[in-house]
Amino acid sequence: MRFGSAACSLAVLLLAACGGGTGTTGSGLGSGDLLVGVLAPFSGADAGLGPAYYAACLAAAPSINNNGGVGGRQVKCQQFDTRGEPADAVPAANQMVASNSNLMAVVGCTSDEASTVAPIVDRAHIPMFCMTGQSEFNKTRLPYFHRLVPADIFDAYAMVGWALYGPSPAPFHKAALVFGNDIGSQAFVDPATNAFTKLGGQVKNFPITLGAASYRTEVASVIAYQPDVVFTEALGSAGTFLGELKTQNGGKVIPFIGTSATIDPTWFQQVSGAIGVNDLVQNYGGVDLGYDFSGPAYTEFITNLNAAASTFSDAPKYKQRGSTLHLYDGIIMTALAMVATNSKDPTVYNPKIKEIANGGSGATVVHTYKDGVDALKAGKTIRFVGAGGENNFDQYNNSQSGYILVKYNAAGDEVKVKQLTPDQTQKISQAGGI
Amino acid sequence: MTIFEAAFGFGLVSMSVIAIAAVGFTMQFGITNMINLAYGEVMVSSAYVAYSLNRAGVSIWIGMIAGGIFGAVFSFLLNRVVYAPFQRKGTSYLGMVIVSLAISLMIANILLPIVSYNSVSYAEHAGSIIRFGGVVLTVNQMIIIVLAVALMVGIHALLRYTRLGKAMRATAANPSLARNCGIPTQRVIDMVWLITGALCGVAGVVAALNSDSFAIASGGGFLITALAAAVLGGAGQPYGAMIGAVIIGLMTELTAAAWSAEYKEVVAFAILVLVMVLRPQGLLAKRGALAAAG
Repeated sequence: MRFGSAACSLAVLLLAACGGGTGTTGSGLGSGDLLVGVLAPFSGADAGLGPAYYAACLAAAPSINNNGGVGGRQVKCQQFDTRGEPADAVPAANQMVASNSNLMAVVGCTSDEASTVAPIVDRAHIPMFCMTGQSEFNKTRLPYFHRLVPADIFDAYAMVGWALYGPSPAPFHKAALVFGNDIGSQAFVDPATNAFTKLGGQVKNFPITLGAASYRTEVASVIAYQPDVVFTEALGSAGTFLGELKTQNGGKVIPFIGTSATIDPTWFQQVSGAIGVNDLVQNYGGVDLGYDFSGPAYTEFITNLNAAASTFSDAPKYKQRGSTLHLYDGIIMTALAMVATNSKDPTVYNPKIKEIANGGSGATVVHTYKDGVDALKAGKTIRFVGAGGENNFDQYNNSQSGYILVKYNAAGDEVKVKQLTPDQTQKISQAGGI
Repeated sequence: MTIFEAAFGFGLVSMSVIAIAAVGFTMQFGITNMINLAYGEVMVSSAYVAYSLNRAGVSIWIGMIAGGIFGAVFSFLLNRVVYAPFQRKGTSYLGMVIVSLAISLMIANILLPIVSYNSVSYAEHAGSIIRFGGVVLTVNQMIIIVLAVALMVGIHALLRYTRLGKAMRATAANPSLARNCGIPTQRVIDMVWLITGALCGVAGVVAALNSDSFAIASGGGFLITALAAAVLGGAGQPYGAMIGAVIIGLMTELTAAAWSAEYKEVVAFAILVLVMVLRPQGLLAKRGALAAAG
């Protein structure tokens, strides 16, 4: 028996030494399933957000699992419902962290709950990819926090860009800002007001209480102001507000420009139900990050997303959702960072995520997990350019890229109509000055 | 047109919707001693019943009748299957509130996989706009106001002039004495759940119609306004709930016009708090629920 035990121990040691030979910094990738926690609202007013992030994970998992996993470990996805409320998000985050020692990454954490859950996840040393535009994270000191989308102020600038440089009927000169009266939603207001007024426009803010049963008096105030365009997001309440706006305006829809969060099948369904698809298609303008929706990374993403319909029937609806694309990339970058460092220890692989996203001189550009692993095994350094395009993390782990101006078609798909030029973007940013 | 005239008109619509919901809620409490926090979810469930019919091409007004019937049956069963057994076992008021809260969460979570979290809208044109000076209302909003007035008159007639209404008031005032006087209190309570459930169902449909779009998450908002109007008027007082609905409905809209939409609910609920401080029993409460009805 003693000889047998010693032989087994030796065999285990040899296997451990052989495993994951792609790096030298880590202490092995371990065994058993790895978990990606989708910490987001799945119920409550923002229940439409969580499924978009869950879809990202369901698409990313087979990209990894079908190509050897993370050192053989399979990636699984699990929902943790924050209900979009900090009071519910904190216990959900604590429970997630306390009961899952195999967490490799956390995705989600929207503006509803990021302020409260990001410190919890950071303390647990779990890399997170948050879908929040809050300015408090512009210079965050949380090393495990990552943001793959720009702060809200850049969305605001892009909306001003639509109003000034977008296709006809732009340019607009008098804008009504209709956002929720919560801190997160109002983050759009100051930069949009500064930029638009300094570039010659008139602006008035009409904050609304999200989730209210009606907005008739608010709408009457907006109509009395006689804007030629409305800037809005109003997640969860856009249908009610815009429906009443159309009714009180004699059936005529005032053109409206939405944030990147309005590029969303749930938002499209809600607003088209309230004002009709034709009016939505004709009068909506949106801003989004410049996605190609093509290339090897997107092809693998869309293949896996469609396949995910067997477990989550709504998954294919998120084929053009920016947050779904970015979180997909975030999960794959995390897996590659684990492989590159040969470590399951987040304190070791977390810094590597940024290196893989930004690349360095001489880095090999890869678009899929498989290509990334192959390049790492060949001893190369890599830069991952995924379904959402290039990432450029700054020292605060914030990444951003340029904006495009979009509309919806009748099927609810995003259609690019224009791209802001660097000069236009710079002019608006300088005018915004925040 | 001034914004205040318009806001007054919108306040009439809001108070109509709130009144239908609040009267049903407060009658449930006044007669059955049950603070039913699942009321908002029953409203939303009824709104979805109307929505499913509306999607099949049925007029929303017929859908509203179906929603009312659904609300009546659902509420009746809710009481018979869940609340009444707990009450028979002597569960405390607080315990019953917790039970109703649990039922509320269960309904919302059972509905979620059926109807999904997405907002939906009725396929019903708002109708042409009617102007009375500065008051601008759509045909649908006018119908909602007329419907609310008709229902309030009906409730008044029921409580004041019918045998059932008198039996309800007797049951509310003293159930034991009512039973000893030969009033079939159990049957009366069943009728109360059917009638208030129907009000709840109709309220859900008009609230959803009034909102242009609604979702499962709307239930909480529906409940809060109904609860506020009921408490403001005096718990268990149908006429108090009507007055509470008028105050909350008008104040929210007029505040939005005079000050800022950000503060409309703050002002409405500040009035509620003020009334509670000065008159804790509510505006119309006398000793015994439904006392003002007679």
